Amino acid sequence: MMTIKIQIIIGVCLVIGLAAIVNMIRRRRLELKYALSWLIAIVFVLVLDCFPTLLTRISRMLGIWAPVNMIFFLGFCFSLLIIFTLTVTLSRMSERVRRLSQAVALNEEKIEKLLKEKEEKTT
Amino acid sequence: MKSLVIIPAYNEEKSILKTVNDIKEHAKSFDYVIVNDCSMDKTLELCREHGLCVLNLPVNLGIGGAVQTGYLYAYKNGYDYAVQFDGDGQHDASYLEKMRDYMKDRDVDLLIGSRFLEKEGFQSSGLRRFGIRYFSHLIKLLTGVRITDPTSGMRMANRSVMEIYANCYPKDYPEPESAVAILNVGKKIEEYPVKMREREEGVSSISPIRSVYYMIKVTLAILVEALRK
Repeated sequence: MMTIKIQIIIGVCLVIGLAAIVNMIRRRRLELKYALSWLIAIVFVLVLDCFPTLLTRISRMLGIWAPVNMIFFLGFCFSLLIIFTLTVTLSRMSERVRRLSQAVALNEEKIEKLLKEKEEKTT
Repeated sequence: MKSLVIIPAYNEEKSILKTVNDIKEHAKSFDYVIVNDCSMDKTLELCREHGLCVLNLPVNLGIGGAVQTGYLYAYKNGYDYAVQFDGDGQHDASYLEKMRDYMKDRDVDLLIGSRFLEKEGFQSSGLRRFGIRYFSHLIKLLTGVRITDPTSGMRMANRSVMEIYANCYPKDYPEPESAVAILNVGKKIEEYPVKMREREEGVSSISPIRSVYYMIKVTLAILVEALRK
C-alpha cells in the first residue's frame, strides 16, 4: 500500500501541473492539440492516485510489489511516449521549415528578376 | 543545353567574388547561383552590390538544405546539368566544362570531382584522409562501387539526379550519404580527377570536436540508406 503521505504529495503535484497546463491553454500559450497527451497522462495518474485499491489491484496483476512504483513506472512510460512524439513532430517541423525557406528564397529571386526586367523595359 | 553552378555560401564575404569570377572566366557556358545560407557577415550585401544571382535563405538550413535549394532552382529552371561548387576557393572552375563533357560522353548520372584519383593538389590532412578512406571502404562494402573521394563537395548531377536531390537531400554532412542514395536507385556514379586548393578563407564545417559526431552520423546514415534499398 502507498502511505497517505505520498498519495497527497503526488496528488498535489499533479493538480498543480494540471492547473498550470489548463491556465496556459486558456492564455493561448499552449495549443490544446499538443497539450492533450499531457492532460490525459495527468488525469490518468491522478485517478490511480485517488483510488489506491484500483492501483494495488493493477500493480499486483503486473507483478509490481509496491503500488507507488507503478505510478512512477506509468508516469515514466507516459513521459517517454510524449517526448518521442515530440521528436517525431520536431522532425516533421524542421522538414517543413526547410521547404518553406527554400520556397521563400526561390520566390524572392523570381520577384527580383521580374522587377529588374520591368525596370529595364521602362527605361 | 543549360548548366548551372550551385555555390552554397555561409560567411564567405572574402572569397565569394573570387569564386564567381573564377566561374565567369573559366566556365563561360555555365550559369551560376549563390545560395546564401543566412550568412552573418556581408556575403549577401556583397552579392547584391555586384548584381550577382543569389538565392537568399531566410533561416539557416545548413549545407544540405542550402545545396538542395540550388538543386531545386536548377530543376525548376530546366537546367540539364547542375554542379555543386564550394564558395571558399577550394574548387577550380576550369574543370567544370571538362566534367560536363565527360558526363555527356559516358552517360554518367553523378560525377564526383576526386582529389585522390591522381593524388594531385591539396590532399587534406592525414586524419581526415583516413576518415575519407574509411567511408570509401564502407560504401564499397555496401554498394560494390568504389568512390575514392566520397566527401568531395564538387559534384555534377544530370536532371534525373537533380530531381531526386530536389525532393530529398540529407541535412548535415550530406556528401557520402547522398552518393549512396543515388547508387541505391541504380544511378551511375563516376569520378573525375581534380586538383583542389587548401581553403583560403573560412573554416571547415568539421571541427575536431564535431568529427566524432561526423563519423558516427555519416556511418549510420550510410547504413540506413543501404537499408532503404
